Amino acid sequence: METMGNPFSIIIDKDHLSPTVRIQGEVDIHTCPELNQQLNILISEGHKTLILNLEKVHYIDSTGLGIIAHAARNIQSDNGKLVLISSKPQIKKLIDMSGLKDKNISLFETESSALESLVS
Amino acid sequence: MSEVSKVSITIPSSSEFVGVVRLALSGIATRMNFSIEEIEDIKIAISEACTNAVQHAYPNSTGTIEITALIHEDKLEIEVHDTGTGFHTNVLGSPEQKEKSEKKLGLGLGLTFIKNLMDEAHVQSEPGKGTTIRMAKRRPTDVLS
Repeated sequence: METMGNPFSIIIDKDHLSPTVRIQGEVDIHTCPELNQQLNILISEGHKTLILNLEKVHYIDSTGLGIIAHAARNIQSDNGKLVLISSKPQIKKLIDMSGLKDKNISLFETESSALESLVS
Repeated sequence: MSEVSKVSITIPSSSEFVGVVRLALSGIATRMNFSIEEIEDIKIAISEACTNAVQHAYPNSTGTIEITALIHEDKLEIEVHDTGTGFHTNVLGSPEQKEKSEKKLGLGLGLTFIKNLMDEAHVQSEPGKGTTIRMAKRRPTDVLS
């Protein structure tokens, strides 16, 4: 899917115990249905922990964060959790503002630190 | 009195055009010497307002969204207007609104984001007549002459 010159893509890496969803581009009202669909597929496959790497996301708003919150709610009943990766101040600011970290969602700056936390 | 420049954009009420508005407003904010962080704030606020219109203004029909940017000496003022269904503003922040937002997989935080990221934010709406969201970001003081 393309948003006027800003390519949006989702790559799913299943090399680790928990799948890593690498998102690139802008996550907004136009692109978030695709993200929602991919997360729903992973949840229906029985994955309880999902890693969402947002390092290459250069824009996200409340619609994108809503999809993340919805996925987190869906896996909560199975004691699942959602791990976000981003070191970008703007994304951190929005995550703080939205109160997402109060739920079963955590935020790490790097994929390696997130993976370490999952095995410890 | 200082001159105010006006830039208007009209888009179809469709998700694919929200990014176009974001890009246009980002260009205006850059020309006004806003910082990168302030430009990001403006992009999110304008997208939230347009997203609200795309999601709620024309549920059973097609329509347009008018975006007006007023470039003042001391601030960037933005108005997002639709002539859609409108709503009673007293439902804002209510459980009913939260439920409606969650059905659309949203957080119901669009207006909260606008209020937190901009210096001014105001919603005016009337059922059957449409909605106008006005917001403003003050220009960095170090670029004012």
